[in-house]
Amino acid sequence: MLYSLQSTNLFILSLLAYVIGAVLGPILAPRKAPASSAGRRLAGYAVTAVFLVSAIASLASLVASYMVLSSRASVDVSPFPLTPFGHLTFRLDPLSAFFLLVISLVGFAVSIYSLGYARSFLFKRHVGLLLFLHNSFLLLMTSVVTVTNGVLFVVVWEGMSIATYFLITYEHESQPSRRAGFLYIAMTHVGTFFLILMFLTLFSHSRSFDFDSFRITASAMPWGSKTLVFFCALIGFGIKAGVIPLHIWLPEAHPAAPSNISALMSGVMIKTGIYGMIRVFFDFLGTGLPWWGFAVLILALGSSVLGVLFALMEHDLKRLLAYHSIENIGIILMGIAVALIFHQAGNDGIAIVGLVAALFHTLNHATFKSLLFLSAGSVVHSTGTRNMEELGGLIKRLPYTATFFLVGAVAISALPPLNGFASEWLTFQAFFRGFDVAELSVKTAMPISMALLALTSALAAACFVKAFGITFLGTSRSRHVQDIHESPWNMLAAMGLLAAACLFFGIDPSLVISRLQPVADFVLHRNPSGALSVDVARSISANPTVNEAPVLVAVLLLGIAAIAIVAIVVLRGNRRSRVVPTWACGLEGLAPRMQYTATGFSKPIRMIFSSVFRPSREIDVREPMSPYFKPTIRVDLKTEAIFDTHVYRPLMNSVLAALRVLRKVQTGHIQSYLAYIFITLIVLLWMAL
Amino acid sequence: MDQTVPYLIDLLAAAILVTTFLIVSSRSLIFYVRLFSLQSIMLGAVALLVVIGYGETHILVSVVLTLLVKAVGIPIVLSRLIDRIKVPKEIDFSVNTTISLLVCGFLVILANSVAEPIISSRPVSTAMVTKVLPISISVMLIGLFIMTSRRKAVTQIIGLLTMENGVFLSGLSITSGMPMIVELGIFFDILVAALILGVFVFRINRTFETVDSDTLRRLRH
Amino acid sequence: MDSPNGMEKQLVTAAIWIVQLVAVLALPPLVNGIIRKSKARLQNRVGPPLSQSYSDLFKLFRKEALVSATTSWIFRAAPYVVFTTTLLVATLMPMFSPYPPLGWMSDFILLVYLLGLGRFFLALSALDAGSSFGGLGSSREMTIASLVEPAMILSIFATAASAGSLNLNAIASSVSPSISSLLNPSQILAFAGLFIVTLAETGRIPVDNPATHLELTMIHEAMILEYSGRHLALIEWASQIKLLIFFSLLGNLFIPTGIAASVSLVDFVTGIAIYLVKIGGLAVVVALVESTNAKLRLFRVPDLLMVAFTLSLLSLVLRFLIR
Repeated sequence: MLYSLQSTNLFILSLLAYVIGAVLGPILAPRKAPASSAGRRLAGYAVTAVFLVSAIASLASLVASYMVLSSRASVDVSPFPLTPFGHLTFRLDPLSAFFLLVISLVGFAVSIYSLGYARSFLFKRHVGLLLFLHNSFLLLMTSVVTVTNGVLFVVVWEGMSIATYFLITYEHESQPSRRAGFLYIAMTHVGTFFLILMFLTLFSHSRSFDFDSFRITASAMPWGSKTLVFFCALIGFGIKAGVIPLHIWLPEAHPAAPSNISALMSGVMIKTGIYGMIRVFFDFLGTGLPWWGFAVLILALGSSVLGVLFALMEHDLKRLLAYHSIENIGIILMGIAVALIFHQAGNDGIAIVGLVAALFHTLNHATFKSLLFLSAGSVVHSTGTRNMEELGGLIKRLPYTATFFLVGAVAISALPPLNGFASEWLTFQAFFRGFDVAELSVKTAMPISMALLALTSALAAACFVKAFGITFLGTSRSRHVQDIHESPWNMLAAMGLLAAACLFFGIDPSLVISRLQPVADFVLHRNPSGALSVDVARSISANPTVNEAPVLVAVLLLGIAAIAIVAIVVLRGNRRSRVVPTWACGLEGLAPRMQYTATGFSKPIRMIFSSVFRPSREIDVREPMSPYFKPTIRVDLKTEAIFDTHVYRPLMNSVLAALRVLRKVQTGHIQSYLAYIFITLIVLLWMAL
Repeated sequence: MDQTVPYLIDLLAAAILVTTFLIVSSRSLIFYVRLFSLQSIMLGAVALLVVIGYGETHILVSVVLTLLVKAVGIPIVLSRLIDRIKVPKEIDFSVNTTISLLVCGFLVILANSVAEPIISSRPVSTAMVTKVLPISISVMLIGLFIMTSRRKAVTQIIGLLTMENGVFLSGLSITSGMPMIVELGIFFDILVAALILGVFVFRINRTFETVDSDTLRRLRH
Repeated sequence: MDSPNGMEKQLVTAAIWIVQLVAVLALPPLVNGIIRKSKARLQNRVGPPLSQSYSDLFKLFRKEALVSATTSWIFRAAPYVVFTTTLLVATLMPMFSPYPPLGWMSDFILLVYLLGLGRFFLALSALDAGSSFGGLGSSREMTIASLVEPAMILSIFATAASAGSLNLNAIASSVSPSISSLLNPSQILAFAGLFIVTLAETGRIPVDNPATHLELTMIHEAMILEYSGRHLALIEWASQIKLLIFFSLLGNLFIPTGIAASVSLVDFVTGIAIYLVKIGGLAVVVALVESTNAKLRLFRVPDLLMVAFTLSLLSLVLRFLIR
């Protein structure tokens, strides 16, 4: 009793703290710089204080969700007794608690980071607004994963979307930001339409908007309604998650927001889409039709492979990271697809493995992606550009940021011993075990999915060699890199925290997996204490490869490296290596422009996958006026955005064409408008008869 | 008779499938023809094994004909044709190798699911049926794919011949060889087809200075 | 099969581990020597003595290491990361004993990704010096590696699925050494697929030329162009060990005779002898392939890897879909 009381209190505390932060922010942070230096210092302290409040709020909900996850029991929190739709209840069941944990972990790190980040543009921008939006964003995300009523869900979901919209357009004077914001709000409204349709379908059978009643009635709905709900959820939540082909807003919106917010959006917000899918697919609908899983699997494979391929073509650091979010959502969906396929087939052992893999990857992606966005934020913060082609050699100026980015890069490339590997390993295992099933379609799909997952993570490694290598290594490519300095300690601390999380989840994955299994049990409506038939899940989660191996790998790697170094030192004496300039084919020195560029780096891949990118190149040679000068050559390289040109453009054109037909209704005569009203009235009256 | 004959048939059938894939992946016309010849030799060997293992002596004629016509005769005609028409020896693709191979991989899986009901409908399923039938259907489908995806008329002949090899193999697998007269008919058909197509290619080349069958579109007008 | 237990087993395991560690350190230069020697013989040259690779490594270790002024700690750390990961993978591989030390860790995915870790750092180090060669090599290496990975996973999938595990030791001990299971079409195709993968992963001829320093054709060599002295020695040694890893994979998953059936000394020694024969044979085959083929154009390499991928896929189809 005491236990549940504590987590309840902490949760309420965190909600209150977010509200306080949101209210205090605009009051305390002045728009214009105060005249006195004391006033300016005070304003700085105020900003710090408000971010500390949100950090405390995240910490409180982090602890609360961890307690719920450990106790494996649901907790209801009803701080406000009355709303128009009945009690406003927040429920921390295992699934909600897990997503709350992800939100608060990243929220905490981002709040710490923002202490330093936001102070840098205090008085230049409206920091008060940022404080308000930051806190409301976190508050609304917390609500999205914890509310228990369909109507409330749509309300907070929309609230979250609107908060995001204002964050994307925070730098509203820039045209791309406004465009990204518009694209986002348009797409997200399409999504909300589908969600409302979904809740109404559910409501038509349960006659209540309570999640509890959905849980009881939804699984008994006729297949038609079930499929409708499935599709609405897939599209509605898929847009938020950024599943290809519903992704077009994502690579525009994530880079447009301030970097700390990008970290929240990419690390956490798109995961609310995953939360919604798991909630509806498994918790509400129970079992589905066999082809649902395959539909999700195809989306997953497409998103991951195409996501990483598009990422490879980017040389805008933040856009590159945004495309990687699409890729990782694909990997998460692979686990969900496996769970759908095998849960439907009654093989819950493999379903649990798939679901645990998906949840684990959700957590991992949240940590390493927000780490990457935060360190990219530090780079943008100090150099003022996101274009990798203008960066280079940053590791010497920003040693800590570089190291943290490297940790994130190794983790996202799924290399051991960091956390990305652990969850991808589980996904591999889920596919591999799935092959044992006799069904031909499953047997065909599993190895191919496995090969595509391998392709995805190898391409991701290539992409991060590019991202890290071009940005941080070599020599600087432009003046942006001249007078820069490392970020303040609180930004570094936030990155350090996330980097430590990457290492920790990677080295001791069993700790996470053992806590995720009850979540999977809960989601699949299994009795956690009974149900001993899940041998496969058991054998995999007890597999030493994922439990003890990572630690041992880390230890052995360090050990062998130490021995190698010691051996070399002993045998050769500690002779220092001679420092010389890089070999330049005997030419005089090496110019930074001779280095490989990001575009050059990805050229082989652009050529090999030319059917996806359809690269085109225009070479414009200007003849010189005098033979003593070299001609100027301009090369214009383009890759086609296939979804833009082949899906959305035609779709939009046909919608516009349809609307043009509809516009004939708008005649401009007041009489005809009155006639419409009259006719409508008559029809309604006739229907009422 | 022991396990050796089914085992060898199994091995050869797989090898035939692999040569079909190599035909898809290869880039030189001469290599194409040689691979086809190799494939036909292996086909003859399968037929011979059916004679030895199952005592179907009437197939012996087919064995001899396969070796004579497909393994030796047609390849000689075709390589002379390639020499005569002096076209570039590389193959034009309308679909590139990588995607072709992927498509063929899926064709094999498709062939397998097509063969599934046939296999399960048979009262006794021997290794001949269960293993060879899906492979033969795959060879047919891939042959058709070669015909549709390669530009030069010569490659289209090879596609046709590959398809025929698939038909022969499936005949062997289901009925241990079709009736004699049908076999003979097919053989002469194929021989004549190859010759006529050969002459045809030669003519196309003389007329259009290329064997790219895309240029035949000009005949529409 | 007598299985030792308790203390004795641990001693035996430790002994085996030490033997394997020594083997994976000492053998690779010899394998490299065999390839070089047989290539030379195939081209009617005398060729360097078998010990040449040892001398090369020894010489490199003694030479001074030059480090470019533009580099960071990544450049100095990379050789150690590459060497360490490769050596670790090599010690976890099934080689010639039934009780491999840490056998439970020889998970295929883990090993592939450990090698990936080494490659990741090597590719980064290539970008560190700021010369265009490094970028060129790094870009090509990562491209080819990403195309190799799916083929590699699929090539062992059929065998792994029969064994019901992705653990290499479990797979190696589940393959029965009878002729019909060794020479069955599915195994042969998977072997061919993995062989192509081996050539690509270890930078052998149709994909990359280990002996070239021509910028148009270099891949691996372009990456390590800035390295010298002990750093270069570590990297060279690591790539030789990597070749041994893939040879062991080919040898033990597809020709599993020779993994000693018990821990008796006789069996153990026979096991080592058979293993050496297998590795030697594979080295000669690689030399043969290298002498009879030309290096492919870079953009033809995907076609070759696609062939490897399809061969592996076919092996899977023949094994599981066609009953």
